[in-house]
Amino acid sequence: MLGHIIYSILSVSFCLLIGKSIELFLPILPASLYGMAIFTLLLHYRFLNAQRIKPCIEWALANMAVCFVPAGVGIINQFELIKQHGIALIAIIFFTTFLLLTLVGIGYQRKLNQQALTANNESTNDK
Amino acid sequence: MISSIVLTDLSFALLFILLTLGVYQAFIHLQKKCKQSWLNPMLFSILTLIPILLFFNVPFEHYYQATFPLHKLLEPAVVALGYPLYQHLQTIKKQWRSIVSLLFIGAFIAIFISFVLTMFVINQYDIAVSLSLKSVTTPIGIALTEQLNGNNSITAFAIILAGLFGALLGPSWLSFINVNSPKAQGLAIGAASHALGTATISKISYEHAAYSSLALIISAVITAIFSPLLINTLVHFL
Repeated sequence: MLGHIIYSILSVSFCLLIGKSIELFLPILPASLYGMAIFTLLLHYRFLNAQRIKPCIEWALANMAVCFVPAGVGIINQFELIKQHGIALIAIIFFTTFLLLTLVGIGYQRKLNQQALTANNESTNDK
Repeated sequence: MISSIVLTDLSFALLFILLTLGVYQAFIHLQKKCKQSWLNPMLFSILTLIPILLFFNVPFEHYYQATFPLHKLLEPAVVALGYPLYQHLQTIKKQWRSIVSLLFIGAFIAIFISFVLTMFVINQYDIAVSLSLKSVTTPIGIALTEQLNGNNSITAFAIILAGLFGALLGPSWLSFINVNSPKAQGLAIGAASHALGTATISKISYEHAAYSSLALIISAVITAIFSPLLINTLVHFL
């Protein structure tokens, strides 16, 4: 198990390091996103052993939300803003979230309905 | 003298890191026990820590400095997200055109409207950036906020709210507008409500879980690539 942990930490650190070097030359995306892409590719082309990484990464993904608590506590400095615009902020978040849900939901449902219709027609033609 | 200052700083840091971890763990246990998705550990940890800091008169800057190591773990956390992406590569390969174009259009419209609406109502650039980035998963949302000079704490909070709205009301809303396929529901909730929505609807079915995490990752990548471009362009016109 300890071996798996060290292997996972080294793999992630290696990808992050490469991501940081890419960011130096190509500062479009954050270094961590380059690192994520490299991590995916290394796993896909089997340069990294997914089985060894799996338990640690799953643990990290399940627990990583704690790292964002400090940033969230920063809302403490925004009391003025919330007092002034709290309702507007919540309304904008609520409205745009539902807009996005509706757009993607209806869009993909239509696509699926079309696919089902074509498949149906083909099978009727076959008969 | 210097060593005593370093020691106080160190013990201060240790104390606040342990406090943050402890409060968070307590809410994880509470959520497991109550089985309620709205009992989000991140949200409730924030809501618990704020009164504690106010009560002991600790300025946020001290707390933030003390817990900086936790914040720094954000970068490896984003790298780790490459694992679920790797798991979904097969699905993406088959339908990448329709999924990517739909998520692209969705993200584009959502960012555009959030940014313009916030600039119109509140007229503060950093808040507008933060609200535009609320639909992506927290590590990427925060990384982008830092890159675009937004407001970290507003982003973190907006992300939690967007997640809660979609997780709690998303499935019934989607059924109401006749989006009944698990694939479409999953994709929509992953795009709008990231990891929080994904975690909640994963309990419904495997298809919900797979499509939701797929949407979460692709939307994050699309937002990361295009939001700086879009926001910088919008700033010129507003």
